[in-house]
Parts: sequence; structure tokens; C-alpha cells
Amino acid sequence: MAHQNATKRNLQLLACTAPALIVFITMKIIPAVMGFWYSLTSWNGINPKKPFIGLENFREIFTTDSYFWDSLLFTFRYTIWIVVAMNILALLLALGIESQRRGKGVFRTLFYLPNMISLVIGSFMWNFIFTKVLYYMADTWGWSFLDHSWIGDPTFSFYAILTVALWGGTGYIMIIYIAAIQGVPEVLHEAAIVDGATPFQRLRSITLPMIAHSFTICLFITLNNAFQVFDVVYTLTGGGPGRATQVVAINIYEEAFNNSNRFGYATAKSLIVFAIVLVITSIQLTVMKRREQEL
Amino acid sequence: MKKEKTMKKITTVLVMLCISMMLLSGAGTKEQASPAKKVTLNVMMSFPRFTEEMEAYVAQFEAKMLEEKGIEVEVELEMPSSDQYRNILQTRLSSNDAPDLFTLHATADLPTYVEAGYVADLSSQPLAAKLYPDVRTSVSVDEKVYAVPFESTVWGYLYNKDIFEACGITAPDTLDEMKEVVRVLKQNGYTPFQLAFQEQWVPQLMTALLLGGKVSGEIPDWVDRMYADQGSYREVADIFEMINLVMSNGTPRAMETGSEQGAADFANGKAAMYIQGTWSAESILSVNPEIRIGVGALPVNNNEDCTRVNLATTTSLAVYADTPQKEMAMEFANYILDDEDSSALYESLKFNPVASCHDFDQYDWAKDASRYVAEGRAYMDLVLPQAVTNEQGKLLQSLYVKQVTVDQFITIMDQTFKAANKALAQ
Repeated sequence: MAHQNATKRNLQLLACTAPALIVFITMKIIPAVMGFWYSLTSWNGINPKKPFIGLENFREIFTTDSYFWDSLLFTFRYTIWIVVAMNILALLLALGIESQRRGKGVFRTLFYLPNMISLVIGSFMWNFIFTKVLYYMADTWGWSFLDHSWIGDPTFSFYAILTVALWGGTGYIMIIYIAAIQGVPEVLHEAAIVDGATPFQRLRSITLPMIAHSFTICLFITLNNAFQVFDVVYTLTGGGPGRATQVVAINIYEEAFNNSNRFGYATAKSLIVFAIVLVITSIQLTVMKRREQEL
Repeated sequence: MKKEKTMKKITTVLVMLCISMMLLSGAGTKEQASPAKKVTLNVMMSFPRFTEEMEAYVAQFEAKMLEEKGIEVEVELEMPSSDQYRNILQTRLSSNDAPDLFTLHATADLPTYVEAGYVADLSSQPLAAKLYPDVRTSVSVDEKVYAVPFESTVWGYLYNKDIFEACGITAPDTLDEMKEVVRVLKQNGYTPFQLAFQEQWVPQLMTALLLGGKVSGEIPDWVDRMYADQGSYREVADIFEMINLVMSNGTPRAMETGSEQGAADFANGKAAMYIQGTWSAESILSVNPEIRIGVGALPVNNNEDCTRVNLATTTSLAVYADTPQKEMAMEFANYILDDEDSSALYESLKFNPVASCHDFDQYDWAKDASRYVAEGRAYMDLVLPQAVTNEQGKLLQSLYVKQVTVDQFITIMDQTFKAANKALAQ
């Protein structure tokens, strides 16, 4: 009887989630499984025939495709910078805003605002700033430190990309930190103040440990997003000059659509990236979860 | 109890309403269906800059069909931006949602799509007989016509005729003459070349022109040998002298200048020459309607036979092989080269004439370019793999910011070509 009830309940639950489940399966799971298959073919994306070639694509990636590994290396560099910079910046902003008595809402909205604009549009705005506004300032006001090739010189374009990515992404992470900070019980702070703790001591011993769970989620989000970055780089430099700022997502995109239409080969590359992201994020999650429990 | 009753009443009223609305709408469709046969054609084209002109032409077509055949045609015209066009087309073709007619690049894409079986044969259509022989070859695969040519371009580099006349110089025919032109321009305080390298396809135009000239003039079997893994960019290393001349005598901040900005700067007289096709003439004239543009052939070396302009058919319209509206789709394809209306269309689009039905005045620069063609100094687009063309553009950017040397350029290009060959073999 009890068993029958459980089955019935499960069926009911399944029925309730069915719409979402069907969308998820058709839009995510099935394409993902098909992707595994495509990576073993030399399909060119147009031809109805998809010739099976086994692991040939993977062999080629690991033996000859230096552009792919270069772009992967660049993506790693970008990811490290973004994860560190974005989290520090977001945390500082969150702490700063939460320590204000007035105007919290205004600042929160201001810093969150870039997140509401599509990053593609944001990048085009910044493109204008880097190619027009900064030069105007350099030429008319003599601010020669601005007179660099901001998106043409690989050294500077890396920082240009970081700037735009931080501008667009920090607000979102900041909101998560703000929520966590607001969740810290006020009594702890009051008790610490009574004990004569300085603001820095309170930050170190109360706030930071209490918001440890939000580090896990924020690191996860930034890591994941940074690894898959596409829009900022594509609209700002297009991966150029040459391939100097090519991230792995652009490398894959170009392989599939711009070069020889090698869909099968491009799918194989994206599977490798998928595996790397999977390993890194699961390591990160396990480590962080363990630390969280310790605290 | 009372509540239940009112609920029932409301439900009944709602159901009644629904039924009556369904009846009404049903009656409506019946009435509409009576006057004429209705056909919907879905047409996808890759030049949003001509949306207005094409929409007007489509309206003419719809009127003509209604008048002559009594068929009510509705043409849905879609113009995705040219950057995304190929992706959208590929997605729609592979998901059985193909447009009835769509544009393709005649040299780069048409053969692949024909081979995949997506394109209908137009050889027996009236339009095929009207095409100029050269143009007909350019839209044919195995001697069968597969597309209606829209855009056929003749292009080299653009120069500002006023500046050239002020300096007393004419378009050079050899590299030495070009060096002299550069010297004179600089002496008179002009920047010789407009650089706009932000988008990699713009610097790529240099390799396109120079390779085309060099290969057609001196080593006609180079492309074939490259496809057979038996050639090298070292054989065409001539091209780098001209590239170097352009890069070291151009406007500053090239990597921050896009093609449109370059056109605007050139229109405002910031440089005397702009290595850019005639397709940008419209942008240039919109900035400065007074400018007089000339078209010249870019010299590779001191062999005049290598100094050539490019002759190519690019955007052309194909009919989807399995379209359910084949008859109407063919009507539309034929209407593009209609004896009465086509001339006005091609003139308004500023395209070159492609068929015997075309009879209109050309712009000055088009005449300049046609002069080279008349003298037999044009080359047909070299058909290089897309990956190779893109790599050339990227490497030119890198060369400009001094991230690669000419030697590395050559080595990388040879490798890229071999890799592309391998991809083709698969």
C-alpha cells in the first residue's frame, strides 16, 4: 500500500515537472548526446552525410592544432584574472555599499546597471570609447597616457577586455555578496562591538566566515562564465589582432562557421573544453564545500 | 451554492463566446479564399543595405503575378546581416526550414551547396540565355547554371582623383611607379594610404589583389599546386614589398579603424588611396558626395602583366532544390533578369551589368574598372579555402602590429593551406 502511494506520488511529481523536463531534454540533453556523436565524424555542417572517422578529430587536436592550445592558454590567463579581480571587486563593492547608511539602493542599482544591458551592446559602447573617446581625450587635452592602441595592441587589448568584462559582470556577483552579507545576524556584530572588536576584526572573524557559502557560488559562476567567454572578446577585438586575443570559444566558433566548416572537428574541441571545465569546477566545488563545513 | 451557480453561468457564457468566435473566424477564411490562388515565397538575402530597393522590386513582382497570372503572391523577404547570414542559412537548410530562394556567394559557396543537393538547376530557364558568357561561367557548376548573379564586382583599390590631379600623377602600372606616387604624395603633404585593419577582411583585400595579380600574371598553376600540397607562399613573396609599402605609408591607428570609418576618412581626404572594393563607393559618397573616386589596379612588381583588377561574381540568388513552390520560385528568379524591370533594379543597386537585358549608365569609377577589363587586365577570383583567406587577414593584422615576420607569415600560410587541404579531403 505504502509502496503504491510512493509510486503514485512520484508519478505526480514527474507529471508536474514534465513540461520543464521535456524542454530540458529536447533542448539540452539530446543536442549534447548528438554532440558526442558529431565529434566522431567529419561532418561539414552542410552535407546531410556525416562520415564516421572515429577518434581522428581528437588525435588531430592533440598533435597539430597549436592555435587551439594557444587560445586555451589565453582563456586560462583570462579566467585567472577575472576570477580574482571580479570577486575582490564585487566583495569590496558589496562591503562598501552595505556599510553605508543612506543611498544603498541607489548604489546597488548603479553598479548592477551594466548587467542589465546585453554585453554585446556594452562592448560596442566600449569599443567606441576605446577607439574614439580616449583618442579624443589624448588629442585635445594632451592626456598622452591614453594614447595607446587599446584594441589593436595585444598587451593593451587584454586589459581592455578585462575592463569591459569586469564592468559588465561585477554587478551580478556583487548582488550575491550583498545578499550574503545581509544574512549575517546583527547580534554577532553587536556582541563583538561590546567586546571591543575593531571593524577589521569583525570583517575577518564574523562577516567573511559567515558568507563563505557565497564564495563557493560566486567562484563557481565566475569560473564557469570566464571559461566560456565569447561576447566581450568577439565584439571588442574579434580575437585579433591576428589571434592574439583569441579565446577558446572563438576558436571553436571560427572552426565551425568561418574556416572550413568543420563541424565535427569543432564539436570535438568543445567536448575537450567541456571536460576541462567539468574537472576544474568539480574540484573547486569539492574543495570549497569541504572548507565551508570546516568553518 | 449561489457561488457555484454564478460560476456555471460565467463558464457557459465563455464557452458560447469561444464557439461563436470560432464560427466567425471560420467564415472569414472561407470568404478570403475565393478570389485568387495564394502563394507564399520565402526569400532570404544577405544584403540588408539594399532592403528598400529589394522590397520595392518584390512589390513589383507581386503586382505582376497578380495581373498576369491571377496569382496572389506574398514574398516574405528576409535580410539577415551578412555576418550571420551563412550561419542562419546553414541552420535553416539542415533543419528542413529552407527558404524558397536564397543568396549565395557564387565562387566561395555555390559549389559546396550544389554538391550537397540544395540548389536547383536553372539552365533551362529563360534567364540562363540572357547572361553574359563570362558571368554565366561564374555561376555554373559542371556547365549547369545554378544561380542568378546579382553582384558582379570589378575592383582594385580606390583613389581620390582630386588629390591625384593636384599632384599631377596618374594610377601607376608598376611597383616602381607606385613608389614614385607615394613619394610625390608625401612630398605634397598627403598620406598615401588609408588603413582600416580592425576587421580582418579589409587588410585581406591586399592579399586578394596581390595574389590574384601575381598568380594570373606569372604563375597560373600556383593555386592548383597549392591544392596538391606542391606549392608555397615563398613563390609569391613579391607581394610583401607592396604590403610593406602600404603599411609603412598609411594613416595611423589602423587597428582602431573599421571599414566604415576608413571609408569616411577616405571620403574626407585623409588619404589618397584606400585598398577597398567598389562596394564601399556608396558609403564614401554618402559622407562626401563631391568626391571623385577612381579605381586602379594594385601593382605587385614591375611586371605590368601582374597589375590587374579583380573580376568576380559574388552574391547570387539560388532556388532551393526541394521547394514546394518551385514554379513560383522560378518565376521570381527569372523576374530578377526581367527584360523590362531588371535594368532599373541593377542600376539602383549600383551593380554592374550581368546580362543582355541590362542597359544603363555606369558610374565613373565603374567605367575606370571596366577599362582594365576591356584591356584584358582582370583576373578571376582565386578560389582559396575559406580557412586560408581568413588566416591571411589575421596574419596581416599580426604583421601590422609586428607580431609575426614575413618569414613566419609564409610558413604559417603554407601550413594552413595544407591543413585546409586535409579538411577538404575528409
